[in-house]
Amino acid sequence: MQALLAFEQGPPVAVPARFFLTAPLYLVLAGVLLAFEGQAVFASRWTPAALALTHLLTLGFMLQIMLGALIQILPVVAGAHLPQPRLLAAVVHPALNLGVLSLALGFLQGASTWMYAAAVFLVIALGVFIAASGWALWRVPSTSPSIRGLKIALLALLITVVSGVYMLLALAGGWPLVLDRVANLHAGWGLGGWTAILLAAVAYVVVPMFQLTPGYPARLAWWFPRLVFLALLLWSVGALVGVEWLVTVARVLLVLTTGGFVIATLLLQKKRRRARVDVTFRYWQFALYAVLAALTMALAEGVWPALGEFKAWPLLLGLLVVLGGDVAFITGMLYKIVPFLLWFDLQNRSAIGQPPPAMNRLLAEVEAEYQLYLFYLAGGGLLAAWIWPAAMVIPAGVLIVLTGAGLFLNLVRACWRYRGFRLQAVVNGERA
Amino acid sequence: MTLQQFLQQDHRACDDLFAVAEQAASGGDLALAKDGFERFRQAVLRHFAAEEGMLFPAFEDATGMRMGPTQVMRMEHEQMRAMMNAAAAALAGGDREGFLGQVDSLLITMQQHNMKEENVLYPMCDQHLAAAPALLERLQAALREG
Repeated sequence: MQALLAFEQGPPVAVPARFFLTAPLYLVLAGVLLAFEGQAVFASRWTPAALALTHLLTLGFMLQIMLGALIQILPVVAGAHLPQPRLLAAVVHPALNLGVLSLALGFLQGASTWMYAAAVFLVIALGVFIAASGWALWRVPSTSPSIRGLKIALLALLITVVSGVYMLLALAGGWPLVLDRVANLHAGWGLGGWTAILLAAVAYVVVPMFQLTPGYPARLAWWFPRLVFLALLLWSVGALVGVEWLVTVARVLLVLTTGGFVIATLLLQKKRRRARVDVTFRYWQFALYAVLAALTMALAEGVWPALGEFKAWPLLLGLLVVLGGDVAFITGMLYKIVPFLLWFDLQNRSAIGQPPPAMNRLLAEVEAEYQLYLFYLAGGGLLAAWIWPAAMVIPAGVLIVLTGAGLFLNLVRACWRYRGFRLQAVVNGERA
Repeated sequence: MTLQQFLQQDHRACDDLFAVAEQAASGGDLALAKDGFERFRQAVLRHFAAEEGMLFPAFEDATGMRMGPTQVMRMEHEQMRAMMNAAAAALAGGDREGFLGQVDSLLITMQQHNMKEENVLYPMCDQHLAAAPALLERLQAALREG
């Protein structure tokens, strides 16, 4: 309980910063891949290019930021103290990046050597992370829905990793395996389980905090992670033993639960007392409506399963969830986290009564706005490319490169300015 | 009414004043922002003073914890006083962007501070100070002024 009172117990800012600064480069890589291999990406979700692109976004961008942010916030939000956070980051960050790059190469070249390398690196990165954060989390009681959510999300991550590595080894070793069934479950646990539950656990804290909304209703906050987990469990059992009706029931439960959470968030935001519309708010709104569109598609597919037979259908659904929803939500979050962490560090170094320069002198609102507009354009470009791949994949790829580069530039510039203010603090004789 | 309910209500009231001031500055009405921010600042300072003058000493006497949570809360109050001064100075100098930047960090600092008080400290106060009903009335009287 006391732990909650000490913000200072977070690790030094350099620990999460490396994850945040590396992640945007994967948006750039994803854009490059789309520009060169876009026709293959839009041909089917099973092409090597589509698999590589998916994992550049989900592991290189999303998971990277989530792991960095968790190392930072677990002590603050949950009072869960990770053992050796610096050492943890020093192992997880390089292993994750080597793993993602090997995985993308493995898919693109169909090379089993790269796939085995990817499996080794990813098992190291995620095995170490799950062990460390699991050890820290299970020592604290679940006194809030956020803590409960974090624990359930971590279980979902474990299942995602195990199923992913299993498919990777099967692919590399040429084992006979019904890949598409396991792949659907893998995507479900990764996006519906780990990502959605984690984002909800974080949203419980940050949506009321940044937008001055009322808190999430307690019953929803406690039940959302459990229901999602239950739905995924039923789906997995149904799929593995071949009970189709169970799969359908589970997927409908998953869609309705997630939809309920999204609608609750939109309703809370209608009651916000802070009218100011900043870049984070606009990213979140985009994300919520994109996910709502994807859930509508999933529900439609539940009613008319034939829709899922169109190759383009799951592609659009995936794009809406991953890029429209998760990448947008996480980017909006980054625009709050990075300036605040840098500012907070400056604050701890400056003398009492001498507040550090305001956050917008580290990262100006207008700089974030340009990047947001590029993101909107990239979203439009992707939609166009989904309709006319031949004509539009190159412009869409270029726009993704630009929005990724813009995010990278904004974050690097914020760190650069932070260094300047820090040196100034040394000159002024303050604690440096 | 518990201490937690009452003090949480006062946090929300301060949030509302904050939102008015920030909104005015966003819209470019600096005179309204100045007026709104001053009202916000006075409300927050009253809240801090009531906590530091009545609630924290009562908590420390009842639990014997003098270097614990109340010490952290006092330090954060000090930080927020400095931040409010910096924001007011920016506004007085007609620096709209500077003001908006200052209050952005102020809001996050204030919210995480409130979260700690509402989730940890106030429940502990209600637990340990139940035998001091006069405390709630004294706090209510102090915060009703203005």
